[in-house]
Amino acid sequence: MIISRNVSLIYPDKTQALFDVSLEIEPGELVYITGPSGSGKTSFLKLLMGIEYPTSGSLSVLGQPMIKSNFGDIQKLRRKIGPVFQEFKLIEGRTALENVMMGMRFLGIKPKQMKEQAHEALEKVGLGHKKYSRVENLSWGESQRVAIARAVARKPLLILADEPTGNLDYDNAINILKLLKSFQKEDTTVIITTHATHLINNEQNATFIHVKNGRITTERRSMAV
Amino acid sequence: MKTYLYNTGYFFKETGKIIKLNLLSNLFSVIGTALILLLLGLAVTGANIGNHLVNMLNEEAEINGYFSKEISPADKEALVEKIREIYGVRNARFVNEEEAKKRMENILGEEASILELFEENPFEAFVEIRINVDAMESILENVKNLNGIEYVRDNKEVLEKIKDITYVFKILGYLMIAAVGITTIIILSHMIRQGIYNNREQINTLRLLGSPGAFIGFPYVLTGILLTILGGLLATVTVVFLIKTAYEGVGNAILFIPLPSRKILIDNMVILIPSLSFILGLSGSLFGLSSIRKK
Repeated sequence: MIISRNVSLIYPDKTQALFDVSLEIEPGELVYITGPSGSGKTSFLKLLMGIEYPTSGSLSVLGQPMIKSNFGDIQKLRRKIGPVFQEFKLIEGRTALENVMMGMRFLGIKPKQMKEQAHEALEKVGLGHKKYSRVENLSWGESQRVAIARAVARKPLLILADEPTGNLDYDNAINILKLLKSFQKEDTTVIITTHATHLINNEQNATFIHVKNGRITTERRSMAV
Repeated sequence: MKTYLYNTGYFFKETGKIIKLNLLSNLFSVIGTALILLLLGLAVTGANIGNHLVNMLNEEAEINGYFSKEISPADKEALVEKIREIYGVRNARFVNEEEAKKRMENILGEEASILELFEENPFEAFVEIRINVDAMESILENVKNLNGIEYVRDNKEVLEKIKDITYVFKILGYLMIAAVGITTIIILSHMIRQGIYNNREQINTLRLLGSPGAFIGFPYVLTGILLTILGGLLATVTVVFLIKTAYEGVGNAILFIPLPSRKILIDNMVILIPSLSFILGLSGSLFGLSSIRKK
């Protein structure tokens, strides 16, 4: 599913964000990428989405080699990914429902089915009653749920959530993590980055990747029986 | 393709939102496009009227061939037949001495009494040859070389001027179309680029979600086409109004100028301006999109 071999990432301003990252993530895994701010977590997600490309090493996501020249294929890959961005990237002036549907419009889904999937996703994140509210009128937590609904309504093979607990209080953060975990299935991998390790200390059935200064310093697998 | 069909409503909604987002600027673009297309419409109408006049003059273009003294009336008829067969000759007609005299009397009017001073008819028979101006040189050559033709009065200077006027009208028409086309494309592509810039965050999000470039760009192309067609329609209505007003007002005042049919002029504008606005809208939008995509 995700195979990274000695991947390094150096930005044009010569900042080295990742050093020699090698790992494998299997389909259906729940993965937490932890580490302090600026450690390289978001850079790694950017690589997985084809926003940045490895400076050296090789990376393949869902069987797609992440090479800059393959932009058309990268766009196709992105359609199989459900991203939850740190700053949500919701489209203002549109309702929650329109935002969720926006992520599906170019997937060749019939309008009726698209609407059903969007409704279902909003219900699942507990925002069924606010589907016709404009996103600029929603709270931080609600906006985040819309972003999650947009990501999962597409029925992706890979969900990437970048710091979803960032600005939330403890209870809301736990609820969001629970919600994201609920989308982990046999064929759906969920990758969550967070610097709030206290929220996931008790996780029993997940893979933990700890990033520090661009290097994977810890890889711990905790398998529940 | 089915993705685009499924999203027809979405595309139109997005187009509406793009237009609303910069309503004033888009309104100015429509007015600007309408004014440019109005200028084009007026120039083409002017060119149509000019061409009509030139064609009329062209049809009237004629040369006269005068016979040698020694040839018989039968030979003269045969010569006329020969002339009719020359390439570029529209018609050739034998004008006898009597008709030549009558024509002159008509031209002189009240002064015609001066012709009574002549004991005999002073006018010669000749052949009146209506020609195609473009083939003037070869016709002159051929007629002059015919046995039985003594000399040819060719009105060459007048005919050359008619030719020049036709050429100038054509060139002006082409220049006008090129200028209008380029200006409209520049205005539109700028407008599309501005629309894309204003919606850059939405576009970026759609890209990150995997949307194809064509899907993102489609509402912008629709916006460009819609705004130009609106401008085109505005220009068409104005041009039609101006043509009608001009025909009703000026047409009656200058009866001596043979204007072309008003219906033909209006029909031309009703077809030309909207079609051209569609083509310009499409090319302007695509140009705007492609220039953004390169960045």
